[in-house]
Amino acid sequence: MNITLRINGKQESIECLPGEMLTEVLRRAGHFEVKKGCDTGNCGACTVLVDGKPVLSCSYLAVRAEGKEITTIQGLADEAKKFAAFLTAEGADQCGFCAPGFALTVLAMKEEFSSIPDEAQIRHYLAGNLCRCSGYEGQIRAIKKYLEAQHAE
Amino acid sequence: MEILKYACPQSKDEAFRLIREEHGTAIGGAAWLRTNTKTIALGVDLAGLGLEYVREVGDHIEIGAMTTYRELETNPLLRARFGALFETTVSHVVGVQLRNIITVGGTAAGRYGFSDLNTTLCALGAQVVFYPDQTMDLAQFIERGAKVPFLLEKVLLPATAKGTYHQMRISENDFPIINTTAVWTGSEWRIAVGSRPAATRLCPKAMALLGADLHPSDDILASAARAAADELQFGSDIRASAEYRREILPVLVRRALMEVRE
Ligand SMILES: Cc1cc2nc3c(=O)[nH]c(=O)nc-3n(C[C@H](O)[C@H](O)[C@H](O)COP(=O)(O)OP(=O)(O)OC[C@H]3O[C@@H](n4cnc5c(N)ncnc54)[C@H](O)[C@@H]3O)c2cc1C
Ligand code: FES
Ligand code: FES
Repeated sequence: MNITLRINGKQESIECLPGEMLTEVLRRAGHFEVKKGCDTGNCGACTVLVDGKPVLSCSYLAVRAEGKEITTIQGLADEAKKFAAFLTAEGADQCGFCAPGFALTVLAMKEEFSSIPDEAQIRHYLAGNLCRCSGYEGQIRAIKKYLEAQHAE
Repeated sequence: MEILKYACPQSKDEAFRLIREEHGTAIGGAAWLRTNTKTIALGVDLAGLGLEYVREVGDHIEIGAMTTYRELETNPLLRARFGALFETTVSHVVGVQLRNIITVGGTAAGRYGFSDLNTTLCALGAQVVFYPDQTMDLAQFIERGAKVPFLLEKVLLPATAKGTYHQMRISENDFPIINTTAVWTGSEWRIAVGSRPAATRLCPKAMALLGADLHPSDDILASAARAAADELQFGSDIRASAEYRREILPVLVRRALMEVRE
């Protein structure tokens, strides 16, 4: 079957099988920035935004994305770069495999909260993003500093 | 997950027909289904049925089967009527991104032993409505299952109740090794226990000990908590032994009861 999605603002028509998940379909269309980690719904590496909401693309039925707005990290590249600078400054980015999903979840959190979330709220919101390298402390520092800087702008 | 034929009906009649007469498999959030390697001959996507809602109807609250966990966690009506109960119940289930996908219907229909949510729903006295016209206590459905393929349309809750949820996990994103919800309905206590590791059960003996008093003594709370552990069966699995679950449960039940009593 054929589905039409808006990926990062651009309409794309893609072939997919009825049981396929969104990760496969996006990667087949060349969106390799969408990472395939555990492929079981546990790690958050495959996160994309569907109509602005963060979802695990490995657990999201591709046919359901028909007509929806899909945002990968490429679609928020400018914002992601700003955040990445904070990650680097805190030494929180190592192999970088988790980074696209992680950054998208942070950006979704920023949109969802009207004020700056506190550390407990940040940890709770990011609980679904696993990182095998960094140990999380640097990431939490980076998120806090990034959100504060954004708020001050 | 392989789906040989896919349908996305726009009416509940058609969805029900496909499930009942053509042996279609209902697709809720699909997050659990996709972990299964079984080939699905006919997938019936429930996304076109308008089953995403939380609303008040008469003297109860209705939650549509396709409502996501994230909606339960953030919904203002549920927050106003049950405080943080739904948030604390679902907030350990992996992350926000999965909770934006998984559904109430898929959870109730699945009758999973490990479920956080089914424990709270049972403690609240939830009923499940099967399309077109059958209503059943969720606790009863979890115990007995269904004899024929069904379309679970919605879950009914009382308009308000006071409850708290407690669980224990080895690690944050894992399934619970034991969980419990205690509820004061306004006239009686209800206690449900899940992840035994078998599915959620009510604790009628413990509930009876608490009586119809919102402020039972510490001694009564402790005996009710112990009674809950005594009246239930526990099993062992890779997460915990039956003995461990039996020892931990009274602590969680007592904490839950004390919080509600306050
Ligand atoms: C990675 C992962 C981790 C999880 N961790 C936890 C956890 O820690 N705690 C916890 O409580 N839960 C956990 N769950 C389970 C989750 O909470 C849901 O209960 C589960 O995913 C089912 O919901 P779904 O919407 O994905 O259902 P689906 O996968 O769509 O369906 C599940 C079953 O229900 C049937 N079904 C779905 N909707 C209906 C309907 N309306 N009528 C009739 N039948 C229906 C389907 O045919 C299928 O048999 C986890 C799930 C995943 C994928
Ligand atoms: S790849 Fe989707 S959660 Fe790990
Ligand atoms: S930096 Fe390697 S997994 Fe996160």
